[in-house]
Amino acid sequence: MNKKTGQEGTPPPAKPNMLVLLKPYSRMLFMLLLFALLSNGLNLVLPKIIANSIDNYTAGHWSFRDIILEFSVATLLIFVFTYLQSIVQTFASERVARDLRTSLSAKISRQSYAYIQQVNPNKLLTNLTSDIDSVKMFVSQAIVSIVSSAVIIIGASVLLLSVNWKLGLAVLTIIPLIGVSFFVVLKKVKALFVKSREVVDWLNKVINESILGAALIRVLNSQQPEYEKFIGASTRARDLGISIVKLFATLIPIIVFVSNMAILTILALGGHFVINGSMTLGDFAAFNSYVAILIFPILVIGFMSNVIAQASAAYQRVHVVLHAPETAETGALSVPPHGNIRLEGITVRYGEKAALHNVSFDIPAGSRTAVIGPTAAGKTQLLYLLTGLLQPDEGIVLYDGRPIADYNRESLLQQTGMVFQDSIIFNMTLRENIAFNTRVTDEAMDKAITTAELKDFIHTLPQGLDTVVSERGTSLSGGQKQRIMLARALAIRPGILLLDDFTARVDPHTERKILQQVQNNYPDLTLLSVTQKISSVEQYDQIILLMEGELIAAGTHTELMQRCPEYVQIYNSQRSTSYYEAGQATV
Amino acid sequence: MDYNLYSQAEEKTSTRAALNKLLHFMAEEKKNLFLAMGIIMINSGINLLAPFLLGYTIDHYVQTKQYSGVLTFSALLLGLYLIGLATRYWQTQLMGGVGQRMLFSLRNAVFGKLQELPVAFFNQNKAGDLISRINNDTDKVNQFFSQSLVQFIDSIFIMLGAGIFLLSINTELGAASLGPALLLLIFTKVISPWVKRKNAASMKSTGGLSSEIQESLNNFKVIIAFNRRDYFRQRFDEANRDNYRSALGAGLANNLFMPVFTFCANIAQLVVLAFGIYLIAAGHFTIGLLISFLAYVNSFYMPLRQLAALWANFQIAMAAWDRISRILSFRTDLLTLPAPAAAALPEAPASLLRFEDVSFRYPDGKEVLHHINLDLKPGKTYALVGPTGGGKTTTASLIARLYDPTEGEVLLAGKDIRSYTPEERSAKIGFILQDPFLFTGTLRDNIVYGDAQLESLSREQLEAVIAGAGLSHLLERFEKGLDTEVAATGDSISLGQKQLIAFIRAVLRRPELLILDEATANIDTVTEQLLEDILQQLPAETTRVIIAHRLNTIENADEIYFVNAGNVVNAGSLDHAMHMLLHDKRES
Repeated sequence: MNKKTGQEGTPPPAKPNMLVLLKPYSRMLFMLLLFALLSNGLNLVLPKIIANSIDNYTAGHWSFRDIILEFSVATLLIFVFTYLQSIVQTFASERVARDLRTSLSAKISRQSYAYIQQVNPNKLLTNLTSDIDSVKMFVSQAIVSIVSSAVIIIGASVLLLSVNWKLGLAVLTIIPLIGVSFFVVLKKVKALFVKSREVVDWLNKVINESILGAALIRVLNSQQPEYEKFIGASTRARDLGISIVKLFATLIPIIVFVSNMAILTILALGGHFVINGSMTLGDFAAFNSYVAILIFPILVIGFMSNVIAQASAAYQRVHVVLHAPETAETGALSVPPHGNIRLEGITVRYGEKAALHNVSFDIPAGSRTAVIGPTAAGKTQLLYLLTGLLQPDEGIVLYDGRPIADYNRESLLQQTGMVFQDSIIFNMTLRENIAFNTRVTDEAMDKAITTAELKDFIHTLPQGLDTVVSERGTSLSGGQKQRIMLARALAIRPGILLLDDFTARVDPHTERKILQQVQNNYPDLTLLSVTQKISSVEQYDQIILLMEGELIAAGTHTELMQRCPEYVQIYNSQRSTSYYEAGQATV
Repeated sequence: MDYNLYSQAEEKTSTRAALNKLLHFMAEEKKNLFLAMGIIMINSGINLLAPFLLGYTIDHYVQTKQYSGVLTFSALLLGLYLIGLATRYWQTQLMGGVGQRMLFSLRNAVFGKLQELPVAFFNQNKAGDLISRINNDTDKVNQFFSQSLVQFIDSIFIMLGAGIFLLSINTELGAASLGPALLLLIFTKVISPWVKRKNAASMKSTGGLSSEIQESLNNFKVIIAFNRRDYFRQRFDEANRDNYRSALGAGLANNLFMPVFTFCANIAQLVVLAFGIYLIAAGHFTIGLLISFLAYVNSFYMPLRQLAALWANFQIAMAAWDRISRILSFRTDLLTLPAPAAAALPEAPASLLRFEDVSFRYPDGKEVLHHINLDLKPGKTYALVGPTGGGKTTTASLIARLYDPTEGEVLLAGKDIRSYTPEERSAKIGFILQDPFLFTGTLRDNIVYGDAQLESLSREQLEAVIAGAGLSHLLERFEKGLDTEVAATGDSISLGQKQLIAFIRAVLRRPELLILDEATANIDTVTEQLLEDILQQLPAETTRVIIAHRLNTIENADEIYFVNAGNVVNAGSLDHAMHMLLHDKRES
């Protein structure tokens, strides 16, 4: 499987705390709370105005205009404040989400390829989308509700105690009771939320594979098994959802019941106090109305607990990625390497299996080297090592005698052009796909396009280089994609060109032409070409034969033909057609 | 057919029609919904009754100092609260369950639809956007139904009750107090489509963001190798900013309801106060009645304010549902035709597969195959050669019916290929695709994938079948054999190894027609000889269609076709084919 990078199981450095996340937005949140308190406070004024006006009317000095004016001003102010609150709330929550996304993506962009593969792109997708949405929901819904509820609860509690501390204490015992039930249930819910997030990753994986493998699924008519696979994940998601619902179905009634017990306590105990004369009827009535004020915010907190539990489970996942050690390393040396490459005792392991074992060889600058060998010989891994996509477990890669780690990534990568074996095309214009690096000049791109034999193809397109290529390059043929990949690598004018079996999908005629043009147009290039075809590399300065991760032989074609039986076997397997291929040279 | 989810102008769907379609998914939940409705009513009843009992107790027992009465009614209330405990539990669980099950069937319906649609659909839509529709959008629909619906019903009950009360106390004052509610109704009606549009735009950009992440993360090695980490950040930031802007728009639209609803509720109080006092002055009303009237106005407008928040959720849910139903509305254009009557069939057709004057154009209008005629006979090997982009893969895709020709007919064993069911067709035709795809799992999972018979085999039996097909040598190349772990993305195994697995997978199924589309392009030539031997061992009647660039792969072909610029011509001998390949004008 994927290479372990070592940070698995390492706990995140700090305990995830959403409040820390909110610190930079404290001014906005302050405004948010201010507007919320103002509008809520003014809402309490309205009944007062009504009460006053009724009192005034009964007292006989009643002014219609004053009442209308007072009331209208209060109403308008409430409207303004609630509207401002909702605006600030929207801005704050969207901004938190946007910034969290930006910093998460920036973090991901600094990670190594191995890390992305190990963490899995599907999970990172969930992190960047639904996980952050949960945090956003927390900001937009929970903060105001919780703070204003807390204020009301505290205020009402103080009032209760001041009216009658004995009854007050008895009534307030509901708060720890509710607190405990929240704590117990939310702990369980949070664990379930974490699990259900993992199921979302799983769902994403199944959907993703069913889209990437859409053609295969239709060829094999395996839509049903795919559907069943999905049902598996979907059922798990449903069951987890129902478990969560059950927990909330327990929590909410308990909270309501406990609050109702407060009312009952007042009736029974307070009634007793009134009857034995230790409490006035007025205080008793006040108690009842204060409790009514107390209970609603408790319920609000109950509903919000769902949002909080989801958000903290989501933030925990984001936090782990955000605080993972950065694995992409970069050195200080900013001189682009000239092209003398040396591998010393390289071993790369995947689990117990060695993909490369103690491989050493030299590539002098300006030379042409071919790597030949059966599938799974470790050829691609060699190229990955040279671009820093992969770190060796043992041994060292040297450019111009300096370890690869010493080089600044930028100067190293602007010197190495890599053509991957699998075609990777982005959903952008052809121009952007080829001039993938911004430093590419028009001139360099034009030369690359000519060399890769793409000129004619681009001419047939009505929009030429500005044609947008579909996602995964489905509108292009295999050979076209491979030539675009080559042009992309050549466009950065590399000193070192790394080709991974790039001619596999190009017809022999075009292949021959392209290789010739590469040699003519980029004469100083250090070339390392992984290939299956001996005929195209017979003239190379060096041919390296790899088998099952071991270097079997290295030398020129003539040398290998003399002393390496494995090489001869490969050569023989291709001989039957060499007549045609040789014929092409004379074309 | 045009399968682009964004291409057609957004058709206007009426909310009611959309809701009806959605309710279809709740059909099985009818019983539960009715039950829940009943429980909600009991609950509301308790909520109204309890304060009444409380007031009664205070008036009749606390004030008259009869403690036994207080205790009796306390016990009664306790009983009521206990019932409330049970009904509330029941209600939450029931509605939550309904929501989860509905989400389940909705999600499955969308995924099932994806499986039903042809390859063309996937070429026209982005993976990230589809994922976003299946996960995020179905969840938005669920959120409304599992969380908001109960409150929705609850609020409407209370509102109706309060409204009736208001009108029955004093019709004039009642009507006046309900006036602002009418304004709200108009306001809501006018503004809702706009709010929904804002939400739709926001979801679209969420889909775009998801596509962006999807594409960049899956192609991360190119981003690293070309030192374009900044590119990833920049593209992401752009999508993120776009998402931010449209989410902001949707958020502001959704948050408009609450202040306006609150405003109207307050205006209603003012109306009641002013009009009430006028009525009192005119001697038609009393102060006591005015005070209780104001309380009822509150209990009418309080739930209405709640509805404001819920209505925004409803608009979000409807916008999400539009996006989902857009997928559900697509129909596959690769339908199975009714089989022709037996008499109409020629007896024992001599050809296994025929192209009769076949042309094909992609939805963008470019014709890529022009009037092709092909005749593939049982047991023969055919090679398709030619420059890249000439139409080889398209020809192969038409043979496997990944697409239908735009003109002409493809005949399989003398019968229109469209009259075969997918089961029959895939049993007859094996197709090793140019880009080998593996599912995350073991090698065994991948080779038995989708084939019930192979899946049912025990390990020993499967190994025997593999040996019988001469594939054991290939399997030996994997360290852990059948148990080798593979992943759909990433580089856990090489492209050549993926091609080997795809080869084993196709050959094991013993198709009558096996298409290899550059299926061995990244396999070394020594192994390729082994594959060649395996292909030779296939039953004598197996027809092979090989697309390849390596000449040794095609030199054993019985016939060679040269495919260039959408034309397919018989090249005759290998020599002639080579000549065409090397000298003819190519258009690619």
